[in-house]
Amino acid sequence: MQKLDDYINQIEHLPPAPKLLPPLLALLQQPDLDISRVIQLIVHDPALTASVLRLSNSVAFSRGAAVENLGEAIARLGFETVYRLVVTVCGSKMLQPRQAGYALDPGELWQHSVTAAVAAQIVARHCHADPSLAFTAGLLHDLGKLVLSQALEGRYAQVAEQVEQFGRSMLEAEKALLGVQHAEVGARVLARWNFPASLVNAVCYHHQPEAAGAFQRLAACTYAGNMIANLIGQSYGIHALALQGRAEAMTILGISADDFQRYMIRTQEEFQGVEALVQTSN
Amino acid sequence: MASPSLSILGFQQKVVVGIADMAVSNNPNSVLATYSLGSCVGIAIYDPVSRVGGLLHAMLPDSTIDLEKAGRKPAMFVDTGIPALFRAAYELRAEKHRVHIYVVGGAQIMDSSGFFNIGKRNYDAVQGIFSRHGLRAVAEEVGGMVNRTMFLNLSTGILSLKISGQTEEVVLCKS
Repeated sequence: MQKLDDYINQIEHLPPAPKLLPPLLALLQQPDLDISRVIQLIVHDPALTASVLRLSNSVAFSRGAAVENLGEAIARLGFETVYRLVVTVCGSKMLQPRQAGYALDPGELWQHSVTAAVAAQIVARHCHADPSLAFTAGLLHDLGKLVLSQALEGRYAQVAEQVEQFGRSMLEAEKALLGVQHAEVGARVLARWNFPASLVNAVCYHHQPEAAGAFQRLAACTYAGNMIANLIGQSYGIHALALQGRAEAMTILGISADDFQRYMIRTQEEFQGVEALVQTSN
Repeated sequence: MASPSLSILGFQQKVVVGIADMAVSNNPNSVLATYSLGSCVGIAIYDPVSRVGGLLHAMLPDSTIDLEKAGRKPAMFVDTGIPALFRAAYELRAEKHRVHIYVVGGAQIMDSSGFFNIGKRNYDAVQGIFSRHGLRAVAEEVGGMVNRTMFLNLSTGILSLKISGQTEEVVLCKS
């Protein structure tokens, strides 16, 4: 734990905590949703409110007449969609920048993350997991890369050696070179930001869902979302596909190989919406 | 597709082929491009005489998984996409015995179980169709754990690649 904190404390530009998300997630879990409390939370941030309204009126989400305020947006699109717009706007700010240690150009980590979020949500819907939590976990699963990018910068040759000569995945290469890996670092950041245990664990075990205990299903949805994003080409940087395949993660969800291909198709179909999210939230 | 006025002016125009999509062209000023193949396969064809080129970005091997989808979007699948690509190229006067074929993509993750080996299944499906129709690729760049982008230049027939995490574009083959 100390080592995780050391890495987190020493980086220069950790993005500010998205303070809105933990309380919004808590509201989402309540059986009787009080819309006015949701609006209260969001309106305090005018830039966020503007982004949500702009997204509500984008091609992907617009349903006829223009949405002019948050109450209308929620009534029209539903709280879950508005929640996803908020997560997307918050996530975009954090995940857009270049991550030199992973050879990720500006926007590449973001595009990968949005695709993983949409895919994880599709899987969750079919596997009786919470789609909003899965979307959030999918969007934030690689948060730890923001922390480790700096430590990996200039060490391409060593990373390549780990993957090419020792047959390690990128995650295992991080662990071998740095003593920590991005999934546990990301989870630690989310815990420090007061995200719920479900999300912290889903991110922590997104490469090894069977180890996530009570949060196995959510972690498995996140794993599947990440895998779909990678396989359909939303994977970037060096050794983009050096990841361990874990069929046992699919067993947790009862997903067959054919189901998995169908979720890939669904993700591709929702791509238009994804691209609208990517562009509008830039 | 490039508009005629642009081609007269000699602008090079990039035609981007998305996932589960394809394009053909006989406009020598265009470059057909498809980004980020991952486990998908990119099939490029080029007839150096008619200078007709085509590019397919297929995501999955077998259309029987979703026939309705295959009807609407044949380029989604290798087994329906390849025939559609060749048919479209023949309409622009490409000829089967002249076309050069390139196969790119089909990357893999580390998966001993085989559950996620879509890249291999895609490539196997390509091989199956090629052998049934007596086709052969002149050059291939497949497998591995990298994400590839490909470009087909219709004036030169040059097929080039860019690999994720690397800055340089490399020429796979000159027609």
